[in-house]
Amino acid sequence: MSGAALTLAPPRTVAVEARSLAHRFGARVALEPQQFRLDGGIVAVTGPNGSGKSTLLRIVAGLLRPSAGECVVSVAGRALPPLARRIHAGLMSPMLSFYEELTVGENLEFAAEARGLAAPRRAAAAALERVGLGARAADRAGALSSGLLQRLRLAFATLGSPALLLLDEPGSHLDEEGRGALETWIRSVARDALVMLATNDEREWRLADRTIQLRGRDLGDPA
Amino acid sequence: MPTEPSSSVAAIWAILRKECRSEWRTRYGISAALLFAITTLTTVSFAVGRMPDRTDVLAALFWIVLLFASLASLSHSFVREVEGHTMTLLRQVASPTAIALGKLLWNLVFLAAIELVTVPLFLILMGAPPPRWAAFLALLALGSLALAASSTLVGALIAQSRGRGALFAAVSLPLLLPVLAGAVSGTRAQWAGGAVAAPAQLLASYALAILAVSLVLYDHLWEE
Repeated sequence: MSGAALTLAPPRTVAVEARSLAHRFGARVALEPQQFRLDGGIVAVTGPNGSGKSTLLRIVAGLLRPSAGECVVSVAGRALPPLARRIHAGLMSPMLSFYEELTVGENLEFAAEARGLAAPRRAAAAALERVGLGARAADRAGALSSGLLQRLRLAFATLGSPALLLLDEPGSHLDEEGRGALETWIRSVARDALVMLATNDEREWRLADRTIQLRGRDLGDPA
Repeated sequence: MPTEPSSSVAAIWAILRKECRSEWRTRYGISAALLFAITTLTTVSFAVGRMPDRTDVLAALFWIVLLFASLASLSHSFVREVEGHTMTLLRQVASPTAIALGKLLWNLVFLAAIELVTVPLFLILMGAPPPRWAAFLALLALGSLALAASSTLVGALIAQSRGRGALFAAVSLPLLLPVLAGAVSGTRAQWAGGAVAAPAQLLASYALAILAVSLVLYDHLWEE
């Protein structure tokens, strides 16, 4: 990953506000009530397994409707409905898979084109260069190792330089060089974007200006 | 940053192109559909021979072959995304409506490709009388639209449910019966020299109704 090439669009005011935000899957508590407001910088979301880190990020991204409370994401003071958030938010998640029969470049070009980005091919190529995958653009996505797949997820999240970056365990599967570059990159993008990091990795949460500590319950504890 | 309407059109087009590219690479649906169509027509042709006088049987057989040849692929367009774990990616780049409309267009392209092979083969092997081409193609287009719209809607509805195979059969049966009824009666009428306006209107109205319902429903799909 190259930290030098990471220039994002001019700063945009993005805010995320949780008002008594909670979620449960059936009878199972997935996220205990949260109350916070984030205006920028790097925010680490930490907590034990099953405490709701990924759930919180999926709610912020608009992929999951909370079962209680609300999550308001606003850009330049304008609240965005959940379906409109995908335009302003980039999500990197272990649950993100790619089309194995398409190449790495085709996957990102498709994503850039579907997002309505101008010059999708250029946007995809820039995102791949950013994470050090430029030379693998013609490889099938199904042939990538788990570390390279993680880089592709990161490239996907940064397509179009979104104002809100939601990174779920971004350092997992990365080698030492990749992790170092990731940290440099996160510091760099946080000047123009709000970065939410779901992690229990000390190196990652030390990057944060602020931490949201999810308490969670014991694994498997019903409501 | 993209704006909503332009990004929706771009998303629909991108999804259609992605589906074409994926199918071209894997030949997952097209080979199975063509195998079914060719095998069925050849087998029936060997068993009962050419039957130019039985336009009622011909019309039914024609739509049965088209339906079963295409249904496996039509119903799986969303299931493949769920089982390949690519739904999160899709939902990150496009609205549910754009995804569903992209899939609908792909299903229409897929049906057209199947029909391009199946129609001439059917006319030759079954000895069907020469169709009244304008009426025949209009019925084929409207029947395909109704079939694609219905199966896309059902596919989208059941994609994330458990037991989706059984659900597809249960939910699609009542939705597909009017399509088959209109398409078969219209196709028979065009061979028999009868009026095709009524069945064509039924197919068009039905396709529009399904599309209207779909557009209302799609943005509420996949809310977890």
